[in-house]
Amino acid sequence: MDITKLKIREMRKLLDNKEISSPELTQIYIDRIKKYDGKLESYITVTEEIALNEAEKAQDIINSGKAGELCGIPLAIKDNICTDGVKTTCASKMLEDFVPPYDATVMEKLNAENIVMLGKTSMDEFAMGGSTQTSAFAKTKNPYDINRVPGGSSGGSASCVSASLCAAALGSDTGGSIRQPAAFCGVTGLKPTYGRVSRYGLVAFASSFDQIGPIAKDAHDCAIILNAIAGYDRHDGTASKLPAADYTSKINMSMEGVKIALPKEFYGDGIDREITDAVMKAAEEYEKMGAVLVECSMPSLKYAVPAYYLISSAEASSNLSRYDGIKYGHRSESGDDFNQLICNSRSEGFGSEVKRRILLGNYALSSGYYDAYYGKALALRQRISAEYDSIFENCDMILTPTTPSAAYGVNENVSDPVKMYKADICTVTANIASLPAISTTCGYNADGMPIGMSLVGKKFDEASIIGAADAFERSFEYKAPELI
Amino acid sequence: MDLEMVSYLSKLGKLSFTDEELQKTAEEMTGIIEIMDTVKEIDVVYDAFADNKNVYLNDLREDASEASMATGKILQNAENSENCFVVPKVVE
Repeated sequence: MDITKLKIREMRKLLDNKEISSPELTQIYIDRIKKYDGKLESYITVTEEIALNEAEKAQDIINSGKAGELCGIPLAIKDNICTDGVKTTCASKMLEDFVPPYDATVMEKLNAENIVMLGKTSMDEFAMGGSTQTSAFAKTKNPYDINRVPGGSSGGSASCVSASLCAAALGSDTGGSIRQPAAFCGVTGLKPTYGRVSRYGLVAFASSFDQIGPIAKDAHDCAIILNAIAGYDRHDGTASKLPAADYTSKINMSMEGVKIALPKEFYGDGIDREITDAVMKAAEEYEKMGAVLVECSMPSLKYAVPAYYLISSAEASSNLSRYDGIKYGHRSESGDDFNQLICNSRSEGFGSEVKRRILLGNYALSSGYYDAYYGKALALRQRISAEYDSIFENCDMILTPTTPSAAYGVNENVSDPVKMYKADICTVTANIASLPAISTTCGYNADGMPIGMSLVGKKFDEASIIGAADAFERSFEYKAPELI
Repeated sequence: MDLEMVSYLSKLGKLSFTDEELQKTAEEMTGIIEIMDTVKEIDVVYDAFADNKNVYLNDLREDASEASMATGKILQNAENSENCFVVPKVVE
C-alpha cells in the first residue's frame, strides 16, 4: 500500500491505530519530495527540519489519545500565506528573503490542530496568473504531463497534492487560483465564501476578492480542512461573524431533488468541446442520482473578465504600493535619491505580469478613466451578483466547467496576457459575487489530461457544494498521474 | 496605449522601463485595454448605497491595550544595524 495515495481520514485511522507514526509518515513525504520535486518544482521551500519536529510533537498528542482530525497530517502551504520564521516569498524577487514575524490566522488554526508543515508551495508571482510560470523561483509542472502547466496561481499546491507530495494543501483564490489549478492537476479545490476564512496574514493581492481555501484529493478532505480554518477573526474586518458550520455534514448526502442550474453562457463559444461534453456528462450523472437540472442564463458573463481585471488590478496597484524596498523586501543597490531608490527597487523586484497589473490598476483609477472603467466594473459586480441571486431563486447550486480548456503546454499562452486573462472566464464570477465554489475532476481529455467541473453555491453554503462534489466523486473513476 | 500613457502610468506606480521594455509593454497594454473596453458596451450604473448598506463602521473590536510585536521581530527584515529602519540620505 502506498500511504501517500490515501485520503486524510484514511491516514487518520492508520495514525490512530498506530500502524504508522507521524514522523514515519512525514519522512515518507520528504523522501517523495526529494525524489520527484526536482522535476515538478511544486515547492519553493521545503521545511524538513520543522516538519520532523512538528511530527514528533503530533505523535505525542496521538499517543495521548487526544488527536484531532488533522493531527500529524503533512500539509503544504502556498507561499503567500505568512508563516512565522519561515520564508514567505510570494514567488517574487521582491520578497525573496522575507521572513514573516507572525503566523497568518489560518496557520495559527492549523498549528492548533498540530498539522505537519512540509513546506511552502510555488505560485504565480503575487498570485497574478494562471500557469505558475510567472514564479521567480519554481516554474511548477503538471504531474500528468511535465511539459504542461499545473495552472495557477496555486499551481504548486495543486501539483504537489496531485503528485502525493503532501496529503493536502492550502491555496488562495482571487479569480480562480484554487479551482483552476485543481482542475488542471486532477484534484479538488474549494474557494470558500468571501469572509468565511480569515485573510489575516495572506499577502494581499485584491482584498475584496482574495480568499484562502483547501486543495485536496477529494471534497471530503477539503471539508476537513475547511472545518479547521473557517471562522471569525478579529484581525480581519471582512471576516464573517456567522458561525462556521460542520462542512462534512453533507458528505454522503442524497442528490434526490437537488436543483442544479446550468447557465447556458458557460457552455458556449470559447469552451473546448471536450470540456462541455465532460461537464454535461457529469450533469447527466447527477440527474441519474435524482437531481433536477435547471436551465438558466447569466447574460453579463461576457463582461465578467474585464470587470474582474479592472477591480482586482485597481486593488493590486494600491496593495503593492507598500513594496518600497525600505521596511522589507528587495532594495536596489542603485538610486541617487529616495524616489529613485523606490523606483529601482520596484522595477528590479517585480516581474512583468505584476508590472502590467499595476499599470492597468493605475489606468482604471486615474483621472478621466475612473468612471468609464473602475466605476463601470463596480456596477458590473453588482449586476453579476444580482444575476446569481436570480438564478439561486430556482436552484440549490450551479454547475459550470472550471476552465475553457485542459492544461496547456508550458510554452503556450504564457507570454500572451490577453489569452491568459480570457481563460479565467469560468471562475471569476464566483469571486465577483463572493460565492463559494468547488472544482472536482469530471473526466479526462484525449491526451489524458484532467477536466474539472465547478459547483457554485449560495453564500456560506459550502456544505451543500462539498456534499454534491462528494456524491459525484464516489462513483467517478479517478486516474492518478504516473510520476517519472 | 501610447508610450506617453505607459510612461505616465509607470511614474504613478514608481516603475521604470527601458525604451525596449516600454515599447513591448505599450503593445501588451493595448491588447489588454481592448478587452477592458467591452465594459463600455453595457449601460449599468454603480449604486454605492447598495454596496455599503451592510457595512457597519462602528462594528469595531474593543479598544484594549495588548502586547505589541517585539521590535526585533518587526526589524528582522529591514536593512539596518541600529535598531531602526535605515534609508538613503534625502536631506542635503
